[in-house]
Amino acid sequence: MRLCNPKTKTETGFDYVVHGLSINTPYGRKRVKAISAFEPGKEEALKEELLRLEKTVELVGSQPGRVEELLETLQEMKDNSFTIQRSDNSVLSVVELYEIKTLLLQMDKVRSLLDAADVEVPAEFILQDTTALLDILDPGRERINTFYIYDAFSEKLATLRGEKRRIELDIRKVQKEQKRKVEAAYGISMTPKFEYVISKADKQLMEKTRAIPELALLDEDYVSATFTLKSDDRVDDLKRSMERLNEAIEEEELCVRERLSAEIGAFRSMLLENCTAIGELDFNLAKAFWAREHNCVKPEIVKDHVLEIVEGRQLVVEDILQKKGKQFCPVSIDLRDGVTCITGANMGGKTISLKMVGQCAMLAQHGFYVPCTRARIGLSSYIHILIGDSQNLQRGLSSFGSEMEELKDILDRSKDGALLLIDEIASGTNPVEGLALTRSIVDYLSDQAYISLITTHFDNVSIGGKIRNMQVRGLADVDFELLSREIRYANRRERIEIIGKYMDYRLYEVADNKEIPKDALNIAQMLGIDRDIITRARKYMEDRKR
Amino acid sequence: MGILNQLAQKYKRIAIVGMAKNAGKTTTLNYLIEEAMDEGIVIGVTSTGRDGENTDLVTGTDKPRVYLDAGTIVSVPVQLYELADAGLEILRMTRYFTALGQLMLCRVVDSGYVQIAGPVNTAEHKDMCNEMMDLGAELILIDGAVDRRSIAAPATSDAIILATGAVLSRSLKKVVEETLHILSTYQLPRIPEGELRDRIKTGAAQDRIMLIKGGRSEFLDLKTSLTAGRILDDAIDQETEWVFIPGALTQSVIGDIHPSKLKGVTFVLKDPTKIFIGATPWQQLRKRGFQVNVLENIEIAALTVNPYAPLGYSFDHRELLTAMREAAGNIPVIDVMYGE
Repeated sequence: MRLCNPKTKTETGFDYVVHGLSINTPYGRKRVKAISAFEPGKEEALKEELLRLEKTVELVGSQPGRVEELLETLQEMKDNSFTIQRSDNSVLSVVELYEIKTLLLQMDKVRSLLDAADVEVPAEFILQDTTALLDILDPGRERINTFYIYDAFSEKLATLRGEKRRIELDIRKVQKEQKRKVEAAYGISMTPKFEYVISKADKQLMEKTRAIPELALLDEDYVSATFTLKSDDRVDDLKRSMERLNEAIEEEELCVRERLSAEIGAFRSMLLENCTAIGELDFNLAKAFWAREHNCVKPEIVKDHVLEIVEGRQLVVEDILQKKGKQFCPVSIDLRDGVTCITGANMGGKTISLKMVGQCAMLAQHGFYVPCTRARIGLSSYIHILIGDSQNLQRGLSSFGSEMEELKDILDRSKDGALLLIDEIASGTNPVEGLALTRSIVDYLSDQAYISLITTHFDNVSIGGKIRNMQVRGLADVDFELLSREIRYANRRERIEIIGKYMDYRLYEVADNKEIPKDALNIAQMLGIDRDIITRARKYMEDRKR
Repeated sequence: MGILNQLAQKYKRIAIVGMAKNAGKTTTLNYLIEEAMDEGIVIGVTSTGRDGENTDLVTGTDKPRVYLDAGTIVSVPVQLYELADAGLEILRMTRYFTALGQLMLCRVVDSGYVQIAGPVNTAEHKDMCNEMMDLGAELILIDGAVDRRSIAAPATSDAIILATGAVLSRSLKKVVEETLHILSTYQLPRIPEGELRDRIKTGAAQDRIMLIKGGRSEFLDLKTSLTAGRILDDAIDQETEWVFIPGALTQSVIGDIHPSKLKGVTFVLKDPTKIFIGATPWQQLRKRGFQVNVLENIEIAALTVNPYAPLGYSFDHRELLTAMREAAGNIPVIDVMYGE
């Protein structure tokens, strides 16, 4: 049973974190694909995962130079797992052998860097020693990353190649001698490749050259003729033995490749295990860097189904704000089984707080650090965020229709220990039925062993003992005089920002029947809606109260 | 001192470019490689990547297959490695890709034939040449474009060797004239470092025709000047000093500009490969006071001549060589067929 649907991963910002990890190796990317949630009951395994991350964070913090070198090595790694698999029963090509040697050198580097670390390195990152195999592929023990079927691989090969070079020289010596003779005898000059090129247009020269017994026509096209030295018996003999040598050399090179492939095949499982360890290391380094960059903390994992987040931040929004040079206002919340309602002003960040809770819960449950100053988290059996979604509108469903469709899905899937995050349910229909529906949903949820967090604009949704009410402080403490003075001369974008500046996004627990602050008209006015319209609206409010 | 030694002292990267197909580009490359062997210079050999040529690459029809001596550094794509007749020690797997796989830098251990290929991207090409030099290459020979118009020369190499020959025309005089025309366009004045150059370079990013009138810059809403002659004529006034043209400079554009206006302005091009005006009309325009400057120039390290044309006619090679040497001034001229 999966923990959540893809939309929940996207909407809470969990996917944003996963995509933001800077993974360096193909093995790390494989590890990322295997990220899975820890279900309730798997608390111990999750704690181990978090402990690995904690040690990695420590490594990154205490040995920056070493980690830098480690990253450089990781960045150069290619996916050679297929080549390693193949080594078992096929002959690897020279390029593949080169790649394996490269990988071995890289593994060697990673291993020695981790060995030298002054802090404890998780056992899962430790690579097995493959020096024996490297020695085979690097017979000269030079540890330089180049490859060729070197003479050192086989004495026979070295002898054959030596012979070939000797014959080459012999042929050249004979030919040089001939060249000198011909040049002297006929007063011509040949190229160092023992060729003599002439223009066919020069009929006389052609005749003369054809008549030279020591020269043979090598090649001709429509414009020129290339003559070369006629080979004599000595050269022919040498060339024949050279042919035989070439064949023998090729055969011996194949033998060497066969032998080396088999040696690699013997290390196959060790190499693959090392690749997995590299993936684990890479993945944890990425998580550690991410956690440090975003000021995240290790969550405390508990058996009870609770969510306590102190000064939590939603990272998607925080990143946007930071780009504008602004800060995210952290929000603390403390949730346990039952329904908690968040009410409060428009533009008060209710939806962001909902997403923040979702993000923290999702991250913790997948073995990540959490963006807050302290977190105490119990594992959920199911997580779902129900939030307005433009995709459904594109499918042709009304917002209410798609919301109800999804709600049914949630209620069907939820079981004890679920975490439900619901944003402004039933706001897309008439307020009378909307309020009624919201209240009955809240009633239903408060009887379940779920943590339900619901944002709403409706008053009096939450009458009843089990339900907790949280309110966004909003503009409650703001000096409106000051605010309207500041906003008077601002342009459109500045108005939104000024309101943002005065807004207090923090949540407070309030009593059951406290009325929700009515800031909508204030905000509409500040955003420049016609004064007449606002005044009329206020009048309607007065009428209704009376 | 041999020709290669001379070149190696002045340049690091030399591209071999043909004036036309069959002008003798591959012959030139092979000639230079042989020279390098004789002179004992360690060379690096690569080519400018050409996209959409993969079928040809596989069959090897238009692929330079060159004989390389031991010690040479060469760029070979993975899929051509096994096909090489030479023994190649793999030195480095590069970050650059071609249609035939990732490029590797290799050192020739056992002399033989190798098919070469290089990166398509200009910046990558430059980086790879630097890597080849790190590995010990003293001079890099780049098998360049078949047609000089398609080269990205100023960026990929320090200088080019231009292969020219009988293929251009049946008239020897015309061959020399066309070659000389290219030589002279490649030696146009370069806008020197300074305020004007900075202004033109900044404006060039917009990829539109730019007129500089005193302190003002004016942009025309035309990307190339191909059909823009009259609009351009209209826009040039008394104050106009410089006209930057981002695309091709053709005769039709210049033809539409009033001769009296032509004298007062200087045209600026990115580089001389943007000129698409033949030798004769070019001369006529010059007489009327037409001036062109460029942002980047192309240095010609040497000329090679091929007296034979594929159509069957040929010139007396010595006559062609002499005529070309007279015309080329200080630039060395080599007959690669006969090694003179």
